[in-house]
Amino acid sequence: MLKVEHLTKVYPNGTVALKDLSFEVPDGEFLVIIGLSGSGKSTLLRCINRLIDPTEGKITMDGIDITAAKGAELRHIRRQIGMIFQHFNLVKRSSVMTNVLSGRLGYLNSWSSTLGYFPHEEKERALAAMTRVGIADKVHSRADALSGGQQQRVGIARTLMQEPKLILADEPVASLDPVLAHSIMQYIEKLNEEDNVSVICSLHYLDLIQRYAERVIGLKDGVKVFEGLPSEINRAKFKEIYGEEAQDMRATALV
Amino acid sequence: MKEKTSRSRLVSIFLSALVPGLGQLIQKKYRAAIAIFLAVATSIAVVAWYGKPAWYILPALIWLWNIWDASSLPGGKNAVLPILLWLLMAYGIGGQVTEFNLRALVENSKRSKDIVSAMFQLDFTQPKTEKKEGFTDIQSPCSATPPVPDRTVNGVRVYVVEPCATVNQTITVKGEGFWPNTPTLIYWQNPIGGKAMDAQVKSDAQGNVSLEWVVSPYVHSTAPDPTVPQIHRIKVSQSRPIGGIELSDVGGYVVQGIYETLALAFLSTIVGALIAIPFGFLAARNLMTGNPVTTAIFLVTRTILNIVRSIESLIIAIIFVIIVGLGPFPGMIAITIHTVAALGKLYSEVIEGIDSGPIDAVKATGASWPQVVRYAVIPQVVPTFTALTIYRWDINIRSSTIIGFVGGGGIGFFLWQWIVLQDYRAVGTAFVAIAVVVIILDFFSARIRERLV
Repeated sequence: MLKVEHLTKVYPNGTVALKDLSFEVPDGEFLVIIGLSGSGKSTLLRCINRLIDPTEGKITMDGIDITAAKGAELRHIRRQIGMIFQHFNLVKRSSVMTNVLSGRLGYLNSWSSTLGYFPHEEKERALAAMTRVGIADKVHSRADALSGGQQQRVGIARTLMQEPKLILADEPVASLDPVLAHSIMQYIEKLNEEDNVSVICSLHYLDLIQRYAERVIGLKDGVKVFEGLPSEINRAKFKEIYGEEAQDMRATALV
Repeated sequence: MKEKTSRSRLVSIFLSALVPGLGQLIQKKYRAAIAIFLAVATSIAVVAWYGKPAWYILPALIWLWNIWDASSLPGGKNAVLPILLWLLMAYGIGGQVTEFNLRALVENSKRSKDIVSAMFQLDFTQPKTEKKEGFTDIQSPCSATPPVPDRTVNGVRVYVVEPCATVNQTITVKGEGFWPNTPTLIYWQNPIGGKAMDAQVKSDAQGNVSLEWVVSPYVHSTAPDPTVPQIHRIKVSQSRPIGGIELSDVGGYVVQGIYETLALAFLSTIVGALIAIPFGFLAARNLMTGNPVTTAIFLVTRTILNIVRSIESLIIAIIFVIIVGLGPFPGMIAITIHTVAALGKLYSEVIEGIDSGPIDAVKATGASWPQVVRYAVIPQVVPTFTALTIYRWDINIRSSTIIGFVGGGGIGFFLWQWIVLQDYRAVGTAFVAIAVVVIILDFFSARIRERLV
């Protein structure tokens, strides 16, 4: 159970990205965050694994205070929280294998892994993760030799290596075409259902929201303006969150 | 109304004639006023410093234009004319100051033709030869009991018929056991080893050599007191080709110099690159501007790198020649220092340009700081670092060829001596060797860099 209480983030330049935000994510839930670019979705996800330090408020996971964690304790928490990025954030010049293995770094001895040593069973685990997302044949390719959809699957395999309790997906399909978007969302859904991993995912497309979300939180200018079931989001609500000029955006509308 | 306008115009003209730009100033044309004043002031200053009054015509013309301009205010005139006049002043005097002299190129063509044609006769190899040599010692001037000038070494006998040598008298040098019918060099070595006289003869069919030789006063030129008897040496030497070629003396020095230069460039690049890496991280804005302490370190590092980079490595070399003495070592230190500054700056720019996405991703897996550096930073910077380092090696080879001019070792050291000694064949040989080596390494470094980036 992830608990976010009165979370506020003010950037040094004065921008208020999140304002007094509170919500809970029960174990195994698929929560979708919606909102315009700049509404605070990325900031929220990055506060949860502390890539960004919140200004005020408290985040706890299973009773452990993430916001107060430091050093080894923080790394310990981070390794239980996988993250999937819009731009995949792979190390382009490294092999797929190395990219996937890097997901395991939080579990490994800092110095031997810094020297490039990975135990045999970790390589096995990496291969299994790659097989699960269907890229086992790309083990030795360089990450930038892969297509966008394949790169995002490498990103998912990297997350799998963490054996996470929670996955943060920051617009995971925003730089993919509609067909690939569904395929990637299905992999995330599978993790959610088969491994009982909680997912917090930011999305833009109404059809993806209604297809994958269990619950939806809408953000506008850092404030929670909606919390409820995907079926409650009608066109009016969508316009309220996204503003008047919002179109009915459907990922599959182009197909 | 009209009267007022013409009166203010007259005031402008009067003020501009008095002080260039003043008329424009009171008409609130500030930029024009400043430009006109500076143009007149700088051109007068330059002409005054140069000291040839004829050039005052140009500032005077600009002054006149300024009055004309003031007369047409508030509109003003097109400024092309004064700009052209000012440029004429700047380039005209500039050309004379740099002693721009195309005639010199033609007038000295005879001398330059000799030099250039010598440079094309490369002195890199020579035919392989074998030698047959003999010698005898001889006293000059004579004492009461001179040692007998007769010596046999390896079956070759050299002797002088007279017991000792007196200046301006004839001695008879004879040799036995040489190759028959072969050109033979006979030369006189003074007591400190200098060549005082030489002569060419030819051996007869039996391998005997004979020479009637007048002893020149020059044999005593290095003696502190020419009346004190000293031991000199007469050498007889034959050489003949045995087929094949070998490096000439110059060729040998060129090879040694090139080798030294390459070693110097290689070592200073590697050492410089290793030292530059930490500087690169310290001078990277994105890593260092997080808090005031690291920002201060960043600013200091950047400033030091910028200052050191602006000092030519030749100048650094001169300082280190004074400290550690002549040779490749001061050259190496100088090029290393320059490499650290140049690469440190370039490395920091590479680090500033890396993608923060992978860093976030690896951090998010719970990786420690060294793991993040190893898996997210290093893979991103290594190829570019390597390419920059190889490019720097290229530059260092070129600068280490001339670092020898100030005593920094390598081919440049030899080249400088040959230029001073006017041995233009050797100079040409060194030029060609440097060009060949630089072109070859350029080619390979370009190929490697292509594959890296």
